Amino acid sequence: MSARAEGAFTGVLRDVERQLALPIPDRIRILRELEYDLEALSGRFLAEGLSPEDAIRRALEALVPDSRSLGELGRLHAPLYRRMTGHLSAHRLRLFERCALVGITALVLVAQASTLVRADLLRNPSPFLLPVLGSGALLLGMVLAKGFQLWVKGDHTDPSRGLRPILAGSGAVLALGIGGVIVDLYRLAAVLERSPEQAGILTPDWLVRDSALLSVAIILALAGGLAWLVFSHWVSLVSGARLDLLGPNPRVRPFDGRNRVQ
Amino acid sequence: MTERDFDVQAFARDINELLVLSTLQDGPKHGYQIGLDVESSSNGLFRFRHGTLYPILHRLEDEGLIRGSWSGDGGRRRKAYSLTATGERHLRGETNRVQEIVSRLMQLLQGPGEVRA
Repeated sequence: MSARAEGAFTGVLRDVERQLALPIPDRIRILRELEYDLEALSGRFLAEGLSPEDAIRRALEALVPDSRSLGELGRLHAPLYRRMTGHLSAHRLRLFERCALVGITALVLVAQASTLVRADLLRNPSPFLLPVLGSGALLLGMVLAKGFQLWVKGDHTDPSRGLRPILAGSGAVLALGIGGVIVDLYRLAAVLERSPEQAGILTPDWLVRDSALLSVAIILALAGGLAWLVFSHWVSLVSGARLDLLGPNPRVRPFDGRNRVQ
Repeated sequence: MTERDFDVQAFARDINELLVLSTLQDGPKHGYQIGLDVESSSNGLFRFRHGTLYPILHRLEDEGLIRGSWSGDGGRRRKAYSLTATGERHLRGETNRVQEIVSRLMQLLQGPGEVRA
């Protein structure tokens, strides 16, 4: 962005952005188009002999969308999900989203549980396997909710919110798995100290049980970490593009349900 | 005239869309150029103000009647629009329809005796 444009149009672009309740990539595309057109049109007016103030004023008057045009742009670019659920009240929409999230998470968990049963991992499991699986289910719910918010609902008022808990959840799952293996190892050592003759039976049993625990913990933590990485990368890309266009610290209108495109 | 009900607001919107499409017959243009060309070729009769051009452009793009393409490097991107083959066909068909509506209107304005059922 040129220095002239920063002075003349950045404030206007920020104002327009505040009134566009759209996903950040759509907002950026609209604002980039507007920015170039404003610069080119004011340049054209300047070349025709208008004063810089008049050139800018006339360009703004011609191109900056009023509330009606912004509303129309909002409807045209609204994500499919918002268009499909536009007739629902905010309360009903919230209820629908929560039910859908719980339902999808439950479906994925049932599919995972059947895989675990088929793989014989739940036969004689470590006492830490269920807490690891429970934390993994919570992590899965967080990842699904974030993906839904960013890419289906297109609610980008605070895109980086909820990313740290995903990373922390991944770490917690891994820590729980490793902690479980260590505790199981101590318990095995204590039993073997009392009755070393059982080593031939208990040690292979421990190996199978705790390698399963560790594998599940590592897979869940990796999946959560990967999801965090993808979300973070995407958020930093779109936030970078937004900052590049609007300068530092563009204020964000909080998403309060009323700025939803109807 | 077509059998469908005549809607004045929709007609005004159609006219705006046709103005944009006809301007793009000369070749690809940026949004501000389209606005300027419509204004100059109609001697100021038609003018897009307060950003009314953008919803029209984006709707036409959405309907596949025009194609928007970005050019330029990372920070200095600009969008130009060009007419698609569908847009050209649409323009021809709608021009005939507008001609028919205007001729009917003129008949009405010139006197009831000249209006044919």
